[in-house]
Amino acid sequence: MRHFPFGVSGVVMNAQGLLRPVRAALLPLLSILTALIVGGVIIWLAGPKLNGDWLGVKFVLDGYAGLFQGAFGSQKAIISTLVRATPYIFAGLAVALAFRCGLFNIGAEGQLALGALFAGGVGFSLHGLPPLIHLPLTLLAGMLGGFLWGMIPGILKARTGAHEVITTIMLNYIAAQLTGYLLNGPWKDPNPNNVTAQTPKIAEAAHLPLLLPGLHWGVILAFLAAIAVWFFLWKTTWGFEIRTVGANAAAARCAGINVSRNIVLAMGLSGMLAGLAGAVQVAGVNYRTILGFNAGYGFDSIAIALLGRNTPLGVVLSALLFGGLRNGATLMQFRTQISSDIISVIQALILIFIAAEQIIRWIYRVRVPSGLSEQVTLSKGWGKS
Amino acid sequence: MRKSLYAMLLLFALVLPLLAACGGGTAAQPTAAVAPPTAAVEAPTAMVEAPTAMVEAPTAAPEATAAPEATAMPEATAATSGTGTIKIGMVTDIAKLGDKGFNDSAWEGVQQAAKALGVEPKVIETTDPNDYQKNLDQFISEGYNVIVTVGFNLQEATVAAAKANPDIKFIGVDQAQTDVIPNLAGLIFNEDQAGYLAGVLAASVSKSGKIGAILGTDAVPAVWRFGEGYRAGAISIKPDISVQTVYHNDVGFDKTFSDPEWGKTTALSMIDQGVDVVFGAGGRTGNGALLAAADRKDKGVYAIGVDTDQYLTVPEAKAVLITSAVKIIPDGVAKLIQTVADGTFKGGNNFGTVGLAPFHDLDSQVPADLKTKLTDIQKQLLDGTLKTNVPAAKPGS
Repeated sequence: MRHFPFGVSGVVMNAQGLLRPVRAALLPLLSILTALIVGGVIIWLAGPKLNGDWLGVKFVLDGYAGLFQGAFGSQKAIISTLVRATPYIFAGLAVALAFRCGLFNIGAEGQLALGALFAGGVGFSLHGLPPLIHLPLTLLAGMLGGFLWGMIPGILKARTGAHEVITTIMLNYIAAQLTGYLLNGPWKDPNPNNVTAQTPKIAEAAHLPLLLPGLHWGVILAFLAAIAVWFFLWKTTWGFEIRTVGANAAAARCAGINVSRNIVLAMGLSGMLAGLAGAVQVAGVNYRTILGFNAGYGFDSIAIALLGRNTPLGVVLSALLFGGLRNGATLMQFRTQISSDIISVIQALILIFIAAEQIIRWIYRVRVPSGLSEQVTLSKGWGKS
Repeated sequence: MRKSLYAMLLLFALVLPLLAACGGGTAAQPTAAVAPPTAAVEAPTAMVEAPTAMVEAPTAAPEATAAPEATAMPEATAATSGTGTIKIGMVTDIAKLGDKGFNDSAWEGVQQAAKALGVEPKVIETTDPNDYQKNLDQFISEGYNVIVTVGFNLQEATVAAAKANPDIKFIGVDQAQTDVIPNLAGLIFNEDQAGYLAGVLAASVSKSGKIGAILGTDAVPAVWRFGEGYRAGAISIKPDISVQTVYHNDVGFDKTFSDPEWGKTTALSMIDQGVDVVFGAGGRTGNGALLAAADRKDKGVYAIGVDTDQYLTVPEAKAVLITSAVKIIPDGVAKLIQTVADGTFKGGNNFGTVGLAPFHDLDSQVPADLKTKLTDIQKQLLDGTLKTNVPAAKPGS
């Protein structure tokens, strides 16, 4: 994810990128393996030391066996992992797309919430529409909600220079409170037995159909979205402009690219993908918008985008890994009865090792710093770019 | 080049199931080896049960419905004779174990019952509310025949699972049943009675004639019943007493029970207006009120906790905590599980016992005649001769 010396052409860029994927693919793998080893030590510490279990190693293996089997060990497990990975793919793509424009979108959480809200609203308030109209309308509403919510920080950044990290975090709060207000208030399911902050169920016509039992079509949409993002970023002029702005905004401006427009567009599209994540959860999993049901997915997606090196394929793979880890936690806990928080520790470890990998690279490759500042652009994000 | 490297990543993804398969082979025995340690920690006597665990632990074989299909009666005899065909699983809500509340209390009850039956229970902590169904399915597919779910958020998933699995007994803690499903028992409590007792005590020990309560949202009927029961109890002692009840209705459902700052600030302002007994009922929000009372210890303020004995869960408030209005969840859960073993399990609503926790450090401040009065009132409430006249839910909500 070190970036390309831009300004010549995409072809040159690809030629220069030949060796890059070696590091790009191997280092995350090493991070994961190292994390599993260190995680194993933690499981070992958490577990009992038994007679007949050689130093408790069986316990650790048992835990991991549960984790992997729970994630990928049966058709049911794989389906469940795919369902878990679906919102991660959308939201991970959202964060990655913004990253490609040099924007750190912390707001996927709020954009996802708005997407879920819009989709839920369209889903439950309309009746009698045929599925061919209602379902696309529901998903489009979610995309619109996310798009608008993403565009706000984009406009603020382009017009005033307000840093998107700050504005998206604040918009997350606003989104959370807005959701809380609507779901506890005007949109609350009026069923007298209902005490939960949730909308009424969405119409049948707005449900995402099932591909297999338990697996809704959203996962196919997610894969299509990954292809679409790849095509958009690397095969279209708009995508090229966005990536150029991300690589070097000043150079992009010199080359005649409208930087402001690209920032707003990138944030809007990023929000749109995050909104779709929320909409797919509503239309495919919960069949209503429920307060707090998708909390944390937007934040996880930042890690997923980073782990996936901000490439669509990388995001899909790391989303599957995250989905699998989350999904396998149940069987792991069932088998070993250790706290499910261990899984969160392992996920955190993976991220720490990814960060450590960058530090290591930075130590050993003196020329990298310029590349580093290009890739995340946190330090240059202040002021109008 | 790039492709081949992604191929490697993919390869890694493909290797995972293989690893799992390898692990699975070795896993069958270790699982059994793993089961006893918890037992070893809890109770040495349970060590005897290791062989039992051995039988039930391996997962692959029993998945076929052979064993679990058998219904309650034969199991009951089997379980009491110690072969352990009753398999008890519990699914927590996202507060998970360690919440010092519902989840911990229910797990305590599960463990009590399991120990009496000589079996090893298992728990799955829910980390994502999208997983309620999945976590229930885990127990169902492993042939568990008593499944406890904790909290009203799990009600929908529990009802669905109970309807789909009529041979499995479900116990829903804090889940009021609207329709009777024969294999689903809701464990609920008359919170108004617990609140009533707290109100009687509060009115009796108050010197200023002003008492208060800090509560979560009144959209949750249980919270409303605590608050209004408290008011009714206080007025029954002193008809002219001032009872301020403040519900945290101004925030979302995710926040209303987890806002100790608000609870504390609101309680402090009450105390500064002369309130000298504060009842905190609303998760961590209510705990904030207990801490506020602790801050004003020198003013002779008392605090009353809720749900469990909060002398043990909020040690910061020990010095002012006169009692807690408790729902005795462990006993309720344990008794319901025992009815499965006895073959007397019944679906529908089951009312657990409510009462007041011990007075602990402030025991000397509660006069003997008040203690007697409280015991009498509790008895009358439980046998129905005394009514709190609090409706089941806030009218019109």
